[in-house]
Amino acid sequence: MRYVVKRLLQAIPIVLAIVVLNFFLLQLAEGDAVDVLAGEAGSATPEYMAELRAKFGLDKPLPVQLAVYLKNVVMFDLGYSFRHDMPVSQLILDRLVPTLLLMVATITLAVGFGILLGLVAAMGLNTWRDTAISIFALITYATPLFWVGLMLIVVFSLNLRWFPTSGMENFAMFYEGWDRVKDIAHHLVLPTVTLSLFYLALYTRLMRASMLEQAGQDYVTTARAKGVTENRIMFVHVLRNALLPVVTMAGVQVGALIGGSVIVESVFAWPGLGMLAFEALFSRDLNLLLGIFLLSALLVVAVNLVVDIIYSSLDPRIEVN
Amino acid sequence: MNFRIWAAAALCAFGLTAVPAPSQAQEAGGTLVYIVQPEPPSLASFLSTSGPIGLVAPKIYEGLFDYDNDLKIVPALAESYEVSADGKTVTFTLRQGVTWHDGAPFTSADVAFSVMEVLKQVHPRGPNSFREVTSIDTPDEHTAVFNLANPAPYMLRALSSYESPMVPKHLLEGTDLRNSDLATSPVGTGPYKFVEWKKGQYIRLDKNEAYWQDGMPYLDRLVGRFIPDASTRTAAMENGEVMYGAYGAIPNIDAVRLRDTDGFSVTTDGYSMINPMALIEFNTTKPPFDNPAVRKAVSLAIDREFLIENIWFGYGKPATSALSSNFAAVGLYKEGMPNYPKNADVAGAIALLDAAGIMPDANGVRATATLDLIPYGEDWRRAGEYMKQALAEIGIAIELRYEDVPTWLKRIYADYDFDFNVNYFYQLSDPVLGVHRHYGTDQIRQGTHFVNSSRYSNPELDALLAAGAQEADATKRAEIYGQVQEILAEDMPVANLFEMQFLTVYNDKLKEHATSAMGAYGSFDRAWVEQ
Repeated sequence: MRYVVKRLLQAIPIVLAIVVLNFFLLQLAEGDAVDVLAGEAGSATPEYMAELRAKFGLDKPLPVQLAVYLKNVVMFDLGYSFRHDMPVSQLILDRLVPTLLLMVATITLAVGFGILLGLVAAMGLNTWRDTAISIFALITYATPLFWVGLMLIVVFSLNLRWFPTSGMENFAMFYEGWDRVKDIAHHLVLPTVTLSLFYLALYTRLMRASMLEQAGQDYVTTARAKGVTENRIMFVHVLRNALLPVVTMAGVQVGALIGGSVIVESVFAWPGLGMLAFEALFSRDLNLLLGIFLLSALLVVAVNLVVDIIYSSLDPRIEVN
Repeated sequence: MNFRIWAAAALCAFGLTAVPAPSQAQEAGGTLVYIVQPEPPSLASFLSTSGPIGLVAPKIYEGLFDYDNDLKIVPALAESYEVSADGKTVTFTLRQGVTWHDGAPFTSADVAFSVMEVLKQVHPRGPNSFREVTSIDTPDEHTAVFNLANPAPYMLRALSSYESPMVPKHLLEGTDLRNSDLATSPVGTGPYKFVEWKKGQYIRLDKNEAYWQDGMPYLDRLVGRFIPDASTRTAAMENGEVMYGAYGAIPNIDAVRLRDTDGFSVTTDGYSMINPMALIEFNTTKPPFDNPAVRKAVSLAIDREFLIENIWFGYGKPATSALSSNFAAVGLYKEGMPNYPKNADVAGAIALLDAAGIMPDANGVRATATLDLIPYGEDWRRAGEYMKQALAEIGIAIELRYEDVPTWLKRIYADYDFDFNVNYFYQLSDPVLGVHRHYGTDQIRQGTHFVNSSRYSNPELDALLAAGAQEADATKRAEIYGQVQEILAEDMPVANLFEMQFLTVYNDKLKEHATSAMGAYGSFDRAWVEQ
């Protein structure tokens, strides 16, 4: 527990540094939110645009804008998105559930199947199973996500009519209760499969390599000399050790998944944070972008902590101090 | 050459689909899910004319008038109108028994407030549409008298729900208009009531049971869905998840395929009040385009038919003047302007440059410039690539620049840091509303978007534009705009490329969605879905 508190305290300066860095990075982009709003409106007077800038606080010098933002962040206020006319925290919370749904489903599917396939491949080294799995992993890893997404839509939505093409719910029906849960799950399938395929390939290859590496270690020879059965060696000794790099990788990628799902969210019109960030960038909605970045940073810190704790339970030699 | 055939086939198809099927009775009920793309920034149509707002807000708010497909006035909130002999008083008789969605009655006070306090003050185009309106008298609850400083015939064409929505005085008066709750939860008089806006997913509107037109709307619900990816929008249309997509929501390349698929249709109806025109804006303050000869040479060197057929799949009409040929209906369009060939006139362009003394160097280059492209999609990039090639033929070497929207807007309209720029403008229903902003000296407004970025200034033209705005007599007005078009064809501060035809793709089960000239920016009051 003390370890967790210590780690969290260490994270504070890191997160603040990330906020400041992001703030200045975003200032490098040409044009501001007012340019976009006025441009979309078709025409707007310079007075109106100056008024908007004053309202958004964009007329103040940069250090003042930063100071105001930092002050708000420290007080857990992420500011206001003028484009959406909503508090940033509310916008992010609205998108958090769909993002987590997609993320958790993807990680579970990718890590689960990745470990399984890696295991199968390693156990049948150089057999047809190994070759088939390796080829499958190579192809899914090399195929662009948006193309996989579109092909799945063509095959499973347009031709087979098994799944809807896009969205999170059926908007003609507005289901409630259990029907709604089933409806959302139905809509979740294609985006999850698309996003998982890429990561699945990664975990498969990693797991396979890791298993093979561990299988050559001295402790395996020792165990075999002791007369431990091959199955027990494989599933109790080797597997447990081989999982470490996979868990590390999964931890690192949780952060990337928020951003990396932009393509999948876009193709399937999934209302997640990635799309929100993407749109915010193009509309120069800096408050919103900074809020999303902050959340991602916090998430990465938290996941890293969780991964460290999982380490110690997988391998008691690693202590959390 | 396939494109010609496609275009011909398209014309036939429109001929068929434009005819309503009178034998079919309307069926009430059902939900229409349609594409709204991109997601609108707000639903405050009284503050912004942004396209996606237009796809939603006119279902909730209404204007004094609507317009049918022949551009004739259809009474909406105003039952009738009367213009005085001198053209300076316009009296509207308002419909009785109309209520706002919150139950409050709609009265002439709402009209006076909407025009004087809202549209004239904060609407992007309102100050122009209603610039002659000095006051509005409300002798009784159902009469609104507009007092004008000068006759303003164009005003009667700017009263649609999209262009000039009537908003509730009792909810807006005394509030900060630009910060109003109505921006995200609108209250209007229209056929559909606002229910819910799930950011990133959809906007839901339900039938207004108390709508003034008996039995309408037929639909129980409208859902506007946001789908960012163009291919997915097409797939959702094919799968029946959405039934309607306008303003190029389905890209032309997919639209021509769906057009030939059973169960789907494509139409170009519903855009005549918008009148979109693709064009090139020249920076007339610096070389090489400070010289009118170079601007005209560019206009001559571009093959407008090639652009339309190869990049826009045959949807479009070569521009032949500063005004769209759609203005022929009101007699303002003038035929036979010079410097507007349908097909490239390379020899003519080179002759112009030679005569102006702009000679090629050792590499055959007469001038160099950077062409900016409107960042609204791949079609414009293709157009830029074509122009690079076409202009090389007359010795103008160009670089292409494609940036994101804010960067581009700032460059063109705030910093004026460009040579020439491909863009499109809505010419709207009258030149005063849509065309003047491009050419008038008073329209050189640094930092304001979609106005005179060429910084072209010609006192003779300014005088004609001022006269054209006030002239009530149709013949005299036609004469004035004839002169305007002649001057602009010679000076060419802007070279119009082609009259754009946006495509609406719809599922054949959806009926009577195109009854208004406003098309997708209309109210959908009569639309119904075959069950």
